[in-house]
Amino acid sequence: MKLLFTLCFAFVSVIGFSQSYEKGMEKAFALWQEGKATEASNMFERISAVETENWIPLYYVAYVNIIDAFSEKDKTRLQLKLDKAKTSLEKAKQLSPDNVEILIMEAMHNTAWIAFDGATYGMKYGAVNTAIYQKATAMAPENPRVALSSAEWNMGMAQYFGKDTAPYCKDIEKALELFTTFKNETPFYPSWGEGRAKEVLASCK
Amino acid sequence: MKQFIFFTALLFSVCAHAQTTISGKVTDHKGIPIPGANVFLVGTYDGTSTDIDGNFSFSTSEEGSQTLSISFMAFETYELKEDVRQMNQLEVKLKEAINTLTGVTLTAGTFEAGDNAKVTALNTLDIVTTAGAVGDVVGALQTLPGTSTVAEDGRLFVRGGEADETQIFIDGIRVFTPYNTSPNNSPTRGRYSPFLFSGTSFSTGGYSAEYGEALSSVLLLNTINEPEEEATDISIMSIGAGLGNTQIWGENSLSVNLSYMNLAPYLELFPDRNEWEKPFQVASGEAVYRHKLDNGLFKFYSAFDYTNFAVNQRNINYEDRVKYDITNKNWYSNFSYKGALKNDWILSTGASLSLSKNDMMIIDDAIDQTETAYHLKMNLKKKFNSHIKLNTGIEYFSSNYEQDFQDENNFQFTSEVQKELPVIFAETDIFFTNKLALKAGLRTSYDGVSDKILVSPRTSLAYKTGKNDQVSFAYGNFYQTAANSYLQYAENLKPQQAQHYILNYQYTFDGRIFRAETYYKKYDDLVKFDGLYPEYGSDFSNNGAGYATGLDVFWRDEKTFKNVDYWVSYSYLDTKRDFRNYEAEVMPNFAANHNFSLVTKYWINDLKSQFGFTYSFTSGRPYDDRNTTEFMNAKTKSYNNIGLNWAYLVSQQQILFVSVTNPLGFKNISGYQYADAPNSNGFYDRQAVRPNADSFVFVGFFWTISSNKNRNQLDNL
Repeated sequence: MKLLFTLCFAFVSVIGFSQSYEKGMEKAFALWQEGKATEASNMFERISAVETENWIPLYYVAYVNIIDAFSEKDKTRLQLKLDKAKTSLEKAKQLSPDNVEILIMEAMHNTAWIAFDGATYGMKYGAVNTAIYQKATAMAPENPRVALSSAEWNMGMAQYFGKDTAPYCKDIEKALELFTTFKNETPFYPSWGEGRAKEVLASCK
Repeated sequence: MKQFIFFTALLFSVCAHAQTTISGKVTDHKGIPIPGANVFLVGTYDGTSTDIDGNFSFSTSEEGSQTLSISFMAFETYELKEDVRQMNQLEVKLKEAINTLTGVTLTAGTFEAGDNAKVTALNTLDIVTTAGAVGDVVGALQTLPGTSTVAEDGRLFVRGGEADETQIFIDGIRVFTPYNTSPNNSPTRGRYSPFLFSGTSFSTGGYSAEYGEALSSVLLLNTINEPEEEATDISIMSIGAGLGNTQIWGENSLSVNLSYMNLAPYLELFPDRNEWEKPFQVASGEAVYRHKLDNGLFKFYSAFDYTNFAVNQRNINYEDRVKYDITNKNWYSNFSYKGALKNDWILSTGASLSLSKNDMMIIDDAIDQTETAYHLKMNLKKKFNSHIKLNTGIEYFSSNYEQDFQDENNFQFTSEVQKELPVIFAETDIFFTNKLALKAGLRTSYDGVSDKILVSPRTSLAYKTGKNDQVSFAYGNFYQTAANSYLQYAENLKPQQAQHYILNYQYTFDGRIFRAETYYKKYDDLVKFDGLYPEYGSDFSNNGAGYATGLDVFWRDEKTFKNVDYWVSYSYLDTKRDFRNYEAEVMPNFAANHNFSLVTKYWINDLKSQFGFTYSFTSGRPYDDRNTTEFMNAKTKSYNNIGLNWAYLVSQQQILFVSVTNPLGFKNISGYQYADAPNSNGFYDRQAVRPNADSFVFVGFFWTISSNKNRNQLDNL
């Protein structure tokens, strides 16, 4: 019986390990698609608690909460979500320093604050974001999310200062091309943005 | 093969059968269900989220003792270590976590400014865009309640206190000579440019046990931790020029600011009441070097300035003008390190060194003053959890002041003051709930003169009365060593003492802040002397005393009117003191009953311009009319001033800035200087103390060169 138990344990650990990561992640994405952001965030968080060396689940904890925060009107709840995103990104950064995807997500976090209250947070985060996008572009010019996000940011700034946004449409087009060429083999590596790029490009015309 | 499949299937079924169900309900302390909480067994994939009624249920194949974790935003994480079979139908009440943004804050007495502050009264931008302040940190703070405008002086006078009752700290380390040298009747400016600082905290009383040697107030300035990008800033002004540059490489960065001011061309156009032999000129520079380490940040800040002028001013006691020829050299360096240690302890340590030298010629008397001082400080902080924080530290102040006096007949007199002050302090912040918080601290120092241990308790209590408002109370006991100008003639003076009682109400709502604060301050052991001036042979004592009580009101609103930001401050002050050579306990000449300021800023997008308007009013200040028998019984006219400014964005990186102070030319009088002896009719002659110039015009052009075209010096204006 004891042998059976040990075998059982070994079996579950060996076969179960990678399988449960995949299953878990898939389940989390499914929850998110159903509109259950809190449940999805919880699931990603549970995965990150087991996969202590993997930055990807933490990245998604941040991503889910940031996207959710963009539609949040209550400041208290907004702060809770964005703070959760921020702490997750901090942890992710420790596991994977100089990761351009995490940098972009940090800028998204800042943008969520600016979107909520530009007068208060525009000054604080505006310059920080410009610096992040510059750094990210220097690090990974071939990354489509870097190209898209910095182009969108520059468009926003141009709009704010009453300048023409048209020159940045070319950057969006370029980002769209990058989406077709960019490859990363890591499972569940961030892949968002293509749809958004098309949307923005449509508004250009 | 068949056997293997069978075996695997068997294993699968065996393993799958060993399932335990974990279930329960999660609520807050009032029993209200918490939906969306994250419930899981630590180290496994087994878990779920609570449903709308706070219920959860999931199954696990784990056995034996496991840790169940339940977490939800705004609550403290709950952990239960138990046999999984016991984990069913659990009733879990989560404890509320302390929310630093919406929870109660310990604010009595303090105006926080800067990025991290929850309630921001003024930010860096405000300091530089306040009309009339012309980029001076101290000038902008004088639009806050609790301060009195003493136009001929320019320093911070807080709640009936003298200017030297306020101390300034950079990154927690003391600045010994924070103000520029200026001619009599010209307001001085703070030495430090606001551009290098990211946060400011101005406390008008009841402040933390971490700070001492200040009877009234502390101003805490923090240098920027991480500059955002490399840039060069050029400024060309009607009174001088400035150059700034920031470089970033790897984990290092360096910011340098240089400036030179010379009033000669300006005085040529707009002469003032003085006769200038050598124009007022200041050359100054500041630099901050920062180095990021794995777990900490090292900063080195250094500033120097050189001031020189020679001026002939009228004095009632002399027929001819009195000549003041002054050269001041000042050097200040400060390093600080802040880093994380094991077990959540945070270490901050630093030291400052200050050298200040004044060479003065007053008529034919030569006076040389040299002050050398240093401050060493180390403190340890720990956040035990979101409820309890501890801050403890030791520090040491040392200063040496030397004055050489030599008159035209070669009479010489040298005096020296040596001060040493070791201090130890500890303070704790306890957040009982999101509504109730307490700060309690103790500061202990050793005074060599009286050979006594001085103990200063400090405490403050805050209670959140509603979603947007709170009340707080603060009490503190404060000591400050007597000024060098007394100690150089009398070695045995004890430190002076003050006690503060403060009651504060604060309301914040969507871009609006309302604050009302009432206080009572009691002074003891103030220095007294006999004769007209403190001098060798005067009889000194610690027999002085006094009080100050009043009400400070502040209202700021950035939301109601589009593109308009304004704030209003009003302070009522009732104070009397018996100190210096006063004959009785009276209202001192730097105090005024009523102080009012209105500051507005209006941004017009079409004109790419920001307009600023500041109005300040101070009721009459007392002076002693020597032709009456009563002491300090007369009052000046009230003081009125208007500041106007216009910042125009020429391009995104170029700004034109124009500012005018007192355009209406109010004739302000700060007091009267009386003759030391009566004239032939037995009457004491007098002359009005007036600003050297009633109005002031400033024009500047600011240009930023950086790779990021959106950046400009608007942030700096």
